[in-house]
Formats: sequence, C-alpha cells, structure tokens
Amino acid sequence: MRRSISLFDSSRRLRSSLAPARLLQNRSVILALLILVISIALSILTPAFLSSRNLTFVITGMTYDLLLALGMTIVLLLWGIDLSVGSVLGLTAVVTTMLLQDGVSIPLAIGAGLGVSALCGATNGFFVAYLKIAPFIVTLGMMSVARGIATVLTSGYFVSGLPDAYKAIGQGRLFNVPYMVYFALVVVVILAFLLRNWRPLREAFYIGTNPEAARLAGIRVALITLGGYVFCSMMAGTAAIFMTSRLSMGFFQFGLGAELKAIAAAVIGGASLRGGTGSIFGATLAVFLLALINNGFVLLQGSPNAQNVIMGGILVIAIMIDAYRRRDLAED
Amino acid sequence: MTPVLEIRRASKSFGSHRVLHDVSFAVYAGEVHALVGENGAGKSTLMNIIGGIHRRDAGEIMLNAEPIDPLDPWQARQLGISVVFQELSLTPNMTVAQNIFVRREPTSALGLIHWRQLNDDARALFERIGIDISPTELVGNYSVGIQQIIEIAKAISFDAKVLIMDEPTSALSESEVDRLFSIIAELKQQGVAIVFISHKLGEVLRIADRVSVLRDGEMVGVVNPSDSNQDEIIHMMVGRSLGDLYPAKGVVSDEVLLEVEGLSHPPLFHDISFSLRRGEILGIAGLIGAGRTEVARAIFGADRYSRGSVKLAGIKLDLKSPRQAIAHGIVYLTEDRKVMGLFLSMTMRDNIVSSSLARFTDALGLLKHRAIADESLRAIKQNDIRPRDDLLSMTSLSGGNQQKSLLAKCLSANPKVLIADEPTRGVDVGAKVKIHQALRDLANRGIGVIVISSELPEVLGLSDRVVVFREGHVSAVLDGDNIAQADVMRYAVQ
Repeated sequence: MRRSISLFDSSRRLRSSLAPARLLQNRSVILALLILVISIALSILTPAFLSSRNLTFVITGMTYDLLLALGMTIVLLLWGIDLSVGSVLGLTAVVTTMLLQDGVSIPLAIGAGLGVSALCGATNGFFVAYLKIAPFIVTLGMMSVARGIATVLTSGYFVSGLPDAYKAIGQGRLFNVPYMVYFALVVVVILAFLLRNWRPLREAFYIGTNPEAARLAGIRVALITLGGYVFCSMMAGTAAIFMTSRLSMGFFQFGLGAELKAIAAAVIGGASLRGGTGSIFGATLAVFLLALINNGFVLLQGSPNAQNVIMGGILVIAIMIDAYRRRDLAED
Repeated sequence: MTPVLEIRRASKSFGSHRVLHDVSFAVYAGEVHALVGENGAGKSTLMNIIGGIHRRDAGEIMLNAEPIDPLDPWQARQLGISVVFQELSLTPNMTVAQNIFVRREPTSALGLIHWRQLNDDARALFERIGIDISPTELVGNYSVGIQQIIEIAKAISFDAKVLIMDEPTSALSESEVDRLFSIIAELKQQGVAIVFISHKLGEVLRIADRVSVLRDGEMVGVVNPSDSNQDEIIHMMVGRSLGDLYPAKGVVSDEVLLEVEGLSHPPLFHDISFSLRRGEILGIAGLIGAGRTEVARAIFGADRYSRGSVKLAGIKLDLKSPRQAIAHGIVYLTEDRKVMGLFLSMTMRDNIVSSSLARFTDALGLLKHRAIADESLRAIKQNDIRPRDDLLSMTSLSGGNQQKSLLAKCLSANPKVLIADEPTRGVDVGAKVKIHQALRDLANRGIGVIVISSELPEVLGLSDRVVVFREGHVSAVLDGDNIAQADVMRYAVQ
C-alpha cells in the first residue's frame, strides 16, 4: 500500500510529514542539507566565498536562472518541456534594448519586450495544446527562430546606450541586495501559494499526470497548457529585462544554454520529464545548489570552459534519478 | 493418469500480507480448468508463481510429475508453460508474425532473418487453431479481439503443454468470445492443458471441465460444472450468499430527460435516436465496434458529431467539451479506467474530486481544501470504497475499488445524466453487485442512467429499456421485464 501526498492536504498531514523519519525523504530537506554542506565546505576551502561581493554575485546570477526554472517547473508539470527559454530571453533582451536605444519610453519598451516573450510562449502553447505537436519539437523550433530573429535584428552587435533610469532596475539595491532578488523571491512565494491553492495550477497536476483523463474530467487542458507556456516565456522575458538592465546592454547571445540549467534545476527540484510533479521551493533550492556548485568551481580555479560539462552531467544524473524514481513507483 | 501440471501446497506472502496459503491445484492434458475467485483471492499470484514471475515461499510445482522451478517467464515458456496476460504484450507497429516470433526469428547462417519462413510458421500456427489471420498485417490494424487470438497463438507457439489465460474475454464481444471458445476447444483436442481465469461465471460454466475456487488465498474447492451452478460457485467465492445479482427495478417517470435525435458522424454512427427518462436505467447493447462508446462520447462532448441534436430537459445542447457537459450535469464514466478514467499515480482523494473542482472553488479561483477532504471521505463511505483511507495512491487499490472510485468521481460532479460505459469491467462479483445497486439508487433518486455493457446479462438485469446498436445504427429499442438474451443478440448481429 502506498500512501502519498494529496493535492488537497490539510495541515494535519503537513505536520506529520515534518516528523524526523519523514524529513529525510523530503527532497527540499535533502537539497537544503546539500546546500549547507557545500556552503560550509566552500567557506573552509576559500575565504573569498563568504565575501559580500561573491555572495551578491552568486545571488544575482542565480536570479535569472531562478525565474527560468520557475517557468520550466510549470511547463514540466504539464508534461511539457520548453527548450526555447534561453532564446526567448535573448530575443526579449534585444527587442527591449533596441526600443530603448531608439528613445521609446521605458514602460513601453519593457511592455513590448514582455509582449514579445508572451507571443513566443503563446505560439509554443498553441502548437502544443491545440495542434498537438510534441513540445520538444515545437520549442526546439522556437529556440532556433527566436535566437535567429535576435541575431538578424542586431546583426550580432551589442545594443548599448541605455537610459540610466532603466539601468536602475537591475543595478539598484535595497539593504545592499539588488531589487531583482526581492522580486524573484516574491514571485517564488506567490507562485508557491498559487500552485497549492489556485484551481488552474492544481488542475495542471491532473493534466501532467493524464491529459486525456483530465479532459474527460472537465478540465480546460488546452487553455491551461497554453497558459503554462506563456508564463514560462514571460519568466524568460522578465529575466531578460533584469539582465539587460544590470549589464547595461542587450546582446543576441544572452541566455545561451539557459534552458539546460532551467531543466536541470526544475528536475532536481522535484519536477519530472513525465509530468505531473513539480515543486516551487524545490526548484528554488535546486537553482541555489547549482549556483553554489558553479561558484565553487570558479573560486577553486576550475576552467570556465568545463562548466558546461558539469551542468550537462548534473542534468543527466538528475534525469536518471527521476527515471529510477518513476520505475520504483511503477513497480509498486 | 498424472496431471500435466500440479501445484502442491504452495504458499506466498508479500511482506506480512499472506496472499496464498497451502494451495494445491492440478490440471490434466486436454482439460479446461477454470480458476475463479474475487479480486484479491490470489488467482493472479498463483498464476504468476506458475509462470515464473514470482517465487513461491513454499510448495512444489510439478510438470509431468517432474519438479520444476521456473525463474522467469521465458524459462517457464521453454518448459511448456505459457501465460496469456490480461494486458496484451503485442507491439502494434510490427506484423503479426514478427510479434509472435519476437526474439525467436528463424535466421540464416549470417544471422539474417528468414522472412518467408517466419510468415509460413505463423500461417501454420493459425491453421492449427483454425483461424484466418494474415501474418504480414500490422497487429495494430486488428481489433482487440483478434489481437487476443494472436496473443494465444504466440503462447502456443512455444509448444505449450499448459496454457494459462487471465481474463481472456474481458475485452471481447460475444461473437469474439465464441471464436475464442472454439479455439480453446481445438487446443483441448490437441491435448493442451488450459487454465482459464475469469470473472464471468456464465462463460466459465460453458467452457470449463472443472472449476477451482479460491477465496482469501486458500483453495475452497473444486467443482464439476455439470453438477453445480452459478449460485453455488458465487457462494463458494464470497463465502456468503449475495442475494440477487441485480437490484429490483424502479419506477420510471414519463418525463424525458435526455433526447438524442438523428445523431450522425459517419462512418462511426448514423442517425442515432433514443430518449432517456428521469429515473430510468437505459441499457445500450451491441457488439464491440457497433458505435456505442462513440455515441456516448459524442453526447458527452468528448468527440464531435456531424449531424443531429442532443436535448437535455427539452433544451438543445451544443456541447463542445466534456467541461461543458459536466457543467450541464452530463457525466461519462469511461470504459477504460486506467487509461482515460483515473489518475493512477495520484491519491484517491485527488481522483474523487477531479471532475467537481468547480464546486470547491471560491470567487478568486482558490480551492477549499477542507471541503475537498470532507467530500472525498463522504464519497468513500457512500460508495463503500476500501480501504477507507483517501490518501492511498490509486495504484494500491484493487480493480473493484478503483472502479468504485471512478464511479465516486462521476457522482461527485452531481450528474443529472450518468453515462456508464462498461461500469463493471474487470471487477469481482462483490464489487459488481455494489456497483449495480449504486446505479439503481441513482436512478431512484431521479437521475437518468445509461449503461453500456458487453455483458448481456448485465444489460438485461439492470435496464428498464434496452437500445440495441448494430454497425453504427440503432437496430431496436426493447422494453419490458422479460427481454430475452436471444432477441438482443439477434438485433445486434443481423
């Protein structure tokens, strides 16, 4: 007999899951412990780790990845995948900064940039949800198209000369912490709340588990799936705004390879490539963990060229663990 | 005469749960030996031990008086014991012959496959069981019924001395069952020992030479069909009398609840018209492929139709999705609970409320968790789902309890019309009686119930009226208490 967590849990169960024996089965707890261990190890190995400069660097860098991982978590939950997030980030970056360069007002430029990202997401979602084309193929196509448009628009050059007020979005700080970190944390909290309590997101769990059964149960499968892709792309768009503002420029190669990190973080955090699961806090901790590993690698003088090898390796391991977990479930 | 296969005092436990206790069982050459029992009685475990899937804890397996110890299904097959499982193991995109001889293809010296030989072997196999199936056709192009027969051909191609069939008729129409039975008779002639596991006692009595009854992991007894009857066997299976298999019929109002007029979607169904009254159970009979499920899905908005109309309480509906149907009070219980009905990896609670989340949502779209928990506990009690723990994963439940959960899910949506497609497929007698009673209770509360079933006795026992489908048309609407099975069959096939 296998008991498991219901989508609709009362607090009574939540408390019992905090019992010490259960605690170690909780993925978030394991991730938090790993983060703790790695942090302690890094602070012993290199004094540079705990410097405020380094910590700010880690946390800011992680914000972009976090936004992407949150979007990816929702798409994976829906039994989808979005390979285009990195390219959408690049396209949004280019569009927004080019408009700013042309003197378009900041709200309008940001709105247009986010609009472009939403359009990319809606296109992905339309092909997946309404035309029933495999998400892998659709978003692989979008990955190429969005990056291609960004390249054509800029001919490969940097876009610079952005207004100071725009730069303040990414460079401004409160208590020495960049605004965007607060923004990302607010998104995490709101999204975690909605994922637990908001009907369309709860229905996403059903869709990811069995789309046909969900449709027959009266769930708006296509609409919610479309919404998931739009949300995922807009998270990439938001990351693009912060990135361009922080770095004071737009570049068509922004977000290159970001989809890999986002998928790795979402899967390590509890999402599955087979849909139906996903955790916001899990993904958040996983992004933090990956950022720490990356940072440790840099601080300990590892070759930056080898970073992709490590990220790719972690992704494969995470997916392997997910596959084994699924198999155990199936054998039950 | 020694039995071909004999099990001596086999026992098996999973953890602390004892599933088989001291079970002995023997089957002779040329015998059809039926194994019956409620779900969870240990039939599958016994079969899995014989077929090499599980290891027994104690006891012996004798094949032609020699002790054997199959470690896996492949080894069991080499020894001459073949199991045909309920779930088919065929690959739809490969040909019939490729499926049958997978991993055993005749090859030339270079290791290349000898295709002509492969197809000839398959053809010879089909000749042996007296059926005409093309070895070069893709398996996916054949109906489930034919696929079942291909599966059997594959099983005997290992030169099977013992053929074990688990619920071979659960997805077959009546005529396909007849064909299967003639194949079984043929194999019997050739001296194959056949173990036939089924819930359908009518079929068991028809085909079996002896019937062994399991209950709670113990062998209750072996009976001879010629000096026994269905009631006695049911009594042995459940350890108590069930009373009537079907609930008493109710009072049907004259008020028409659902009216289907001229519904067409060529080539699946044509000009379908019938009406459902408040408080009525309307049976839909017909062969598999007659268009029953297709019409049900069209009424439910799951698939489109090209012409015709559906009226609910006199008002024409134009449903574009199941969501709209549910909002209007039309709910469909799918024929395939595992693929289209349930979310197997989720909990019972998640499943029960999956069709009725709208009822538990506030103005902001936020869910009321407490109300959901209350509803699921209420539904579990009302439908007598066991165990009464709504946080169990659906996979932990028996088939009967899964089916009751599926019914609970439909009822939670407060239907005015319930379309139940094969509501008792693959469930044991005890659960069957309870589901029948639940459907009649619904009708007595004024709900209109449509029951689609391939089991004729069920359609007739349960329904106030019966609509017979044949090749996508309504061929008859039969009324009254004493509809004869033969009449329905006549309209279904001619």
